[in-house]
Amino acid sequence: MISRRTLLGSGAALGAASALAACSKNSSSSTSGGLDTLTIMAPVLTGQTPAADGKLQKAIEDFSGKKLAMTWVPNSDYGSKTNVILAGSELPELMVIQGKTPTFVRSAQAGAFWDLTGRLEKYPNLKPVDTTAAAVKSATINGKLYGVPRLRDPMRTGVILRKDWLAKLGLSMPKSTDDLYGIVKAFSERDPDGNGQKDTYGLIIPKWPGGYGTASPYDVFETWFGAPNAWGERSGKLVPGFDTPEYLQADQFLKKWVDEKLINPDFATLDSAKWNDPFFNGKGGVIVDVTSRGQVIGNLFKQQHPSNYMDYVAMTGNLTGPSGKLYAYPTIGYAGFISVSRQSIKTEAQLDQVLQFLDKMSSKEGQILENNGISGLNFTPDGTYSVAIKGGDADVVTNDTQSFAQIGTNTNGFMGYTAKPAIPAEQAFYEDRLKFQAADFKSAVQNPANALVSDTYTAKGAQLDQIIADARLKYIAGQLSLDQYQAEIKRWHTEGGDQVISEMNDLYAKYK
Amino acid sequence: MDADDVSNAAKRKVSVLTKLNHYKWLYLMLIPGIAYFAVFKYAPMYGITIAFQDYLPFLGYSGSPWVGFKHFQALFSGPDFPRIMGNTLILAALHVLITFPAPIIVALLLNELRIGWLKRAVQSSIYIPHFLSWTIVASLTFLLFGLDPGPITKVASSLLGHQVDFLADPAWFRPLIILQSLWKGTGWGTIIYLAALTGVDPNLYEAARIDGASRWRQMWHITLPAIRSTVVVMAILLTGNLLDTGFEQIYLMTNSLNRSVADVFDTYVYIMGITQGAFSYSTAVGLFKAAIGIVLIFGANWLARKSGQSGLF
Repeated sequence: MISRRTLLGSGAALGAASALAACSKNSSSSTSGGLDTLTIMAPVLTGQTPAADGKLQKAIEDFSGKKLAMTWVPNSDYGSKTNVILAGSELPELMVIQGKTPTFVRSAQAGAFWDLTGRLEKYPNLKPVDTTAAAVKSATINGKLYGVPRLRDPMRTGVILRKDWLAKLGLSMPKSTDDLYGIVKAFSERDPDGNGQKDTYGLIIPKWPGGYGTASPYDVFETWFGAPNAWGERSGKLVPGFDTPEYLQADQFLKKWVDEKLINPDFATLDSAKWNDPFFNGKGGVIVDVTSRGQVIGNLFKQQHPSNYMDYVAMTGNLTGPSGKLYAYPTIGYAGFISVSRQSIKTEAQLDQVLQFLDKMSSKEGQILENNGISGLNFTPDGTYSVAIKGGDADVVTNDTQSFAQIGTNTNGFMGYTAKPAIPAEQAFYEDRLKFQAADFKSAVQNPANALVSDTYTAKGAQLDQIIADARLKYIAGQLSLDQYQAEIKRWHTEGGDQVISEMNDLYAKYK
Repeated sequence: MDADDVSNAAKRKVSVLTKLNHYKWLYLMLIPGIAYFAVFKYAPMYGITIAFQDYLPFLGYSGSPWVGFKHFQALFSGPDFPRIMGNTLILAALHVLITFPAPIIVALLLNELRIGWLKRAVQSSIYIPHFLSWTIVASLTFLLFGLDPGPITKVASSLLGHQVDFLADPAWFRPLIILQSLWKGTGWGTIIYLAALTGVDPNLYEAARIDGASRWRQMWHITLPAIRSTVVVMAILLTGNLLDTGFEQIYLMTNSLNRSVADVFDTYVYIMGITQGAFSYSTAVGLFKAAIGIVLIFGANWLARKSGQSGLF
């Protein structure tokens, strides 16, 4: 009988397995009971992988009292590498899991990871606080928590506009979707760049890689109009957003924008990596996306106009819809989990040690180490800001923080520093952003189904959601009539959606 | 079976053993090759078993539950199958009708060129696109056929009098795919036909000219029969890959507006398997496609032999 372990003969599997084996050669600990070394697999987002004897890793080891054997996997391969590792025999003790993928959900339900439900509360720095409790709850899967969630900003939606165009046309910042319509119309028709030609448009939308309910500009507009954020409760039942009249109303509104040529004509094909280009090059003037994009765009202008780069970018938060009420579009609030393998961590006592490590790293000091680095070596604190120190070792540590931030969980809230903006205008821009994000969060439309995973959805969800996303785009582009669009929504129901709805409602009743 | 046959069979058996002994060093040298195929080609086929399981990486091959033909049933009765099969077959038919004969025609044209340096220059320049990846081909297509800057889109729109959106209009998806395949593959495809053409005895042409045959007649009666067997072999090989429409090319050209004509088996397997984690289902789909490929290649070979050609095996 050939065991499953020996059969993963593909090159990728061997490579990953040997990398892990190399990393875990010091840690025979998982059988002996004591845990001196922790093996951790995490994604690396920068080009340079932290060295095992790097200053930051040493500092983290000294602080936590554990040796670390890190396996850094490039972010782009992380998903497929995770599947390979799950099939192998050498599971790292801790694994960053990037989201509730069908593979993760089914593996977790089959017993691959420790169930941490109710355990975080026993550790002072892992225990959720008021601002994070909702996000930790959405990270559960049908009432069970299969990892320490990695919390992120719960509200990041913003409208980014060309500040110089607004100034030139004498327009003020938008408060409602109707205001924004006036702005995109003016940006398209009143020559905001002053070159005498009608060669600009208002809103810029790229080809969206995800399906329905993936924080696309379309999803955001629908929520602003009052439609649920993916799922919502309507007369006591969970319904998908696209079954509500507000949803169609928002799409009709956007279709009008396309018909009046207020959106870039290639919105179905524009490469999402080039989303900023039309904005920066003065072809389009509005982007609806996460607020950090405003910062990125500001930095693009910085190279061209070092002294007044913040004169080109203005940003505001969520807009009110036709009803005049604010429905803000939040994020899911977390970016996957750090999950603990049940194959490598065998006993409750070992699990306790692992959670103690994560607890320590989630303390203020631990968070600063992971997110900012070593105070006095690569940064100096300045209030809530950090001022970077440049050169030599400092640059290496700063680079390493980008990787170690990936094992930060922040379930007790983020306590690290933010990089200090270069000029007062940028600092004002940043502080304004924090203010409107906090205000918007109070009106956030949460997805009540975030913590629910239905079997049919796990099996067919991506395919089903694509039906909606494609039909929505075809309708907005004018390829489908409203009737045909509704027929496609009906197809979602008949091809498995009705099953999903009934399963979701059962789960909702159980785990609400 | 009569006595003669039996004794013949016995003789063959003896002679096989003698041969084995006679060429033992050659057979020994064959072992690394066989080992390569056994380890890297045949052993991984064990993985096909997951098409009959509800495979989960964590449970492994032996631990995942056995479900028989469930995934095949789901495929054939599912709503996606007719659309994907249709799209794949239409693209395959277009490849057979357009991209397969293209290199033959180009090779014949090149063969008629009598200026040596021009022929070599043309040959070399039409090989180049073969070495570009599909990503680059797709980027070029986006630049030329996009809306911005899109020189070809601008010209086409002014000629037709209305805005054409090559990249998003489902009607333009297949023409673009075929155009890309022609641009990338035609030049490279000519190599094998040109090689066959160099094997033609120049005396034949000379004799034909003396008999007063025109260029056209020479091509019809000498050149084409000379490359016929090559064309047949290439055609058989093509049928084996008929349903391989290519993943990268299609995936890069797909968007929400043209997906209805763009979904083919190769992209479907990717979406179901990699993005949705339905490993077993996508393996079943891939296995079905491979089975069709085997049937087609044996069928084409049988047909070729039936019609008096040499066939592949």
